[in-house]
Amino acid sequence: MPTWQLRLLRGRPGGSPRLEIYRVELPAEAYLIDAVEKIWAEQDRSLLFRHACHHASCGACGVRVNGRERLMCITPLREFSPDRPIQVEPLRHFPWLGDLLVDVSPMMRRMAEVGFAIVRQDELTADRPLPEGIERITRFEDCIECGLCLSACPVMAADEAYLGPATLAAIERMLKEPRGGDTARLLTLADDPHGAWRCHSAMECTAVCPSNVDPASAIGRLRRRLIAERFRRWIGGGR
Amino acid sequence: MSYHVIVIGAGSTGAAVAHDLALRGFRVTVVERGEVASGTSGRNHCLLHSGGRYAMRDPESARECIEENMILRRIMPEALELNDGLFVALDEQDLAWKERFLAACEECGIPAREIPVRQALALEPHLNPNILAAVQVPDGVFEPFRFCLSFLATARRNGATVLTYTEVVDFVFQGRTVAGVRVRDRRTGEERVIGGDIVVNAAGPWSGRIAAMAGVDVPVVPTAGVMISVGRRWNRMVINRLNMPGDGDIIVPQRRTAIIGTTSWRVEDPDFIPIPEDHVRLLLDRAERFIPGYTRGGIRGIFAVARPLVGRRGVAADGRELSRTFECFDHAADGVEGFVTITGGKMTTARAMAEKAVDVVCAKLGLEIPCRTREVPLLSYRAFFD
Amino acid sequence: MKEAPRWKRASGWVDLRGRREGGLAFLLMRLTGIGLVIYLFIHLYVLRLLAQGPEAWDAFIAMAKSPLFLALDGLLILGILYHALNGVRVTLLGLGIGVPHQARLFWGVMALTLLVTAIAAYAIFTIAG
Ligand SMILES: Cc1cc2nc3c(=O)[nH]c(=O)nc-3n(C[C@H](O)[C@H](O)[C@H](O)COP(=O)(O)OP(=O)(O)OC[C@H]3O[C@@H](n4cnc5c(N)ncnc54)[C@H](O)[C@@H]3O)c2cc1C
Ligand code: HEM
Ligand code: SF4
Ligand code: FES
Repeated sequence: MPTWQLRLLRGRPGGSPRLEIYRVELPAEAYLIDAVEKIWAEQDRSLLFRHACHHASCGACGVRVNGRERLMCITPLREFSPDRPIQVEPLRHFPWLGDLLVDVSPMMRRMAEVGFAIVRQDELTADRPLPEGIERITRFEDCIECGLCLSACPVMAADEAYLGPATLAAIERMLKEPRGGDTARLLTLADDPHGAWRCHSAMECTAVCPSNVDPASAIGRLRRRLIAERFRRWIGGGR
Repeated sequence: MSYHVIVIGAGSTGAAVAHDLALRGFRVTVVERGEVASGTSGRNHCLLHSGGRYAMRDPESARECIEENMILRRIMPEALELNDGLFVALDEQDLAWKERFLAACEECGIPAREIPVRQALALEPHLNPNILAAVQVPDGVFEPFRFCLSFLATARRNGATVLTYTEVVDFVFQGRTVAGVRVRDRRTGEERVIGGDIVVNAAGPWSGRIAAMAGVDVPVVPTAGVMISVGRRWNRMVINRLNMPGDGDIIVPQRRTAIIGTTSWRVEDPDFIPIPEDHVRLLLDRAERFIPGYTRGGIRGIFAVARPLVGRRGVAADGRELSRTFECFDHAADGVEGFVTITGGKMTTARAMAEKAVDVVCAKLGLEIPCRTREVPLLSYRAFFD
Repeated sequence: MKEAPRWKRASGWVDLRGRREGGLAFLLMRLTGIGLVIYLFIHLYVLRLLAQGPEAWDAFIAMAKSPLFLALDGLLILGILYHALNGVRVTLLGLGIGVPHQARLFWGVMALTLLVTAIAAYAIFTIAG
């Protein structure tokens, strides 16, 4: 069984963080979360990290792996070579709580303002009528609220008040399928210097998103919608 | 009333217990050594049981499941995908169970109905076209982290304190009565004592260890299972094999994935569970029989976790024989006052487990407060971060 | 708990670790944008010489023909081209057009920038030199 080297960012707020090497034996079929959990179980009980579902559904295990935002639970060890350390650091642009742990509540509060979670259509049905024997379809939204996109976004680095890719994508989803939501309020939320207009199209959100959300395109569609609304107001007066 | 109850573990059981306690007016502190749902609750199969799976072997569990299934639909819609489930017969052997299965469901109050194979294939185009029969049941799917967060968010709104990354390392006694717990903060390394009138042990597969800290024995058997998630959602509904529960006989869809599970073997240490390679092969093999080409979207994750099954003396070690129902132990019977363990069960039955545990807590304190968790809708999981 | 020190966050946009084409394109866009603003001021400062009569201007033009200065002109053209071409890319992407092709568009912008700069540099050195 190969021995993997992990270089984990360790430390607590108030102190200066450092990178420390750990060695852990695991088969190549294992995932990064297994390695981190094993280090916690067998080597250092003070290691802080988040995880729950281990299948890219809960959004808890986001970190930066060799600089890039990933979910530990679907990052296979076989991607790496045992000779070179795999560097694991916490997500950026969130309050840091220590080691690999960050406080995701700023993002969650913004998502709560949008208020979506369940879709009423899915890819198996798309826009066709539901097959006989099925009354309705419900499915979780694609966004697992992992925060990878926020960490990858260079605008997030400079503007704390920026709504962020996930939230803007959520607004766009809500506008498309309002589920009783207040669309005028959502448009106002997005139509803000810290909203849809703050994006600089660095495209990193879409590149790191593990769940097919494509926030960059969503922000583009949102802007088109906002521009259209504005035109309508100029021409027709009022929404 | 200002009794303080400490709940150990923030899995589904601990979260539901905290909610029930807070609703009944207790002061509550939840102590969890990791993230919410970092134990068994986070990492399971995500099936909101209709009870169909247990109808034939374990009717008691089956009845609990269907009752709780209907309650959860009301109280936590944001954590559920509700698309029903199918029990399909893959071969003649399976088919032979059909009548018994339908009768057992009827017996347990599970609304099951057979649908024509042609309709089943229309609903589930990726299903093996050679199935011989299909029965539709009200299975569902939950998001386990949100499931726990919803209970905890509501508990918090009602005054509960939730301490994550805080590990119970010892018990504090006053004579033979538990007076609190000693905890270690994983962030600072500091230890301190939290005093309480009652301590509820909801540590899932670790509840045996916690009980041992208090000097009592809980017959919990950590029984692990493997699950594999793939890169494509092949099925709309949960697909079960129409047979007695066995290895690799269910594929649960969720969001954009489908998850095949599971297996069953006894583990000593649930902290880290190495995944047996032969289990992975077996599961993939079985999945192929339900949905040919199952791994064509790529494998996304392989994970294992341990169930807290309640052991009975002299029962086989692999765990399939153990009942999936739950057990609440008032350790006064073991000579330790102020200490209750609630374990076993399922995520689906967490609310019922909590009701039972809090009834026991109330009885111990001589209180009579009705349980209201059947009716009170839970807050969104996001409210946990308020 | 406390957050990372502020200066670290304000400069976070320069941090290229883990970033791909989109992030690099954004960084270059900002750097060339800032460069162009600085150039604009230098340019205005230099134009002031025109008010000081033909001698001053001719002396400047003589210096402007030195190879070093011409190389700087090349750099300027490089910056302007990148900024303008990527500006078109960003305008489209910002409206959600062509997002799946953003990386390829970036390399296209780079290729076109380098190509035109090379032609311009050739022209500059053959004409001026
Ligand atoms: C493979 C598998 C598949 C399953 N699938 C399903 C399914 O599809 N549907 C379903 O309804 N049920 C399912 N179950 C059952 C279900 O997951 C469990 O019954 C349920 O999650 C148990 O929850 P719990 O809160 O009791 O335990 P846990 O979730 O394990 O919670 C215990 C908590 O206690 C914490 N803890 C431990 N020690 C300490 C300490 N010293 N101090 C502080 N905290 C501590 C742990 O960190 C943990 O978070 C499945 C189980 C398995 C194993
Ligand atoms: C054809 C010419 C030009 C085009 C098409 C263009 C296009 C753009 C676009 C689309 C942006 C926004 C980029 C983003 O969202 O990140 C931008 C930013 C900017 N541009 Fe230009 N531009 C041009 C010329 C200039 C000139 C001549 C200057 C300087 C005098 C300049 C200075 C800047 C600056 C400073 C920024 C801000 C960069 C940032 O905030 O990241 N641009 N330009
Ligand atoms: S948009 Fe994608 S990367 Fe961002 S939070 Fe949602 S799932 Fe994560
Ligand atoms: S542990 Fe849930 S997303 Fe990785």
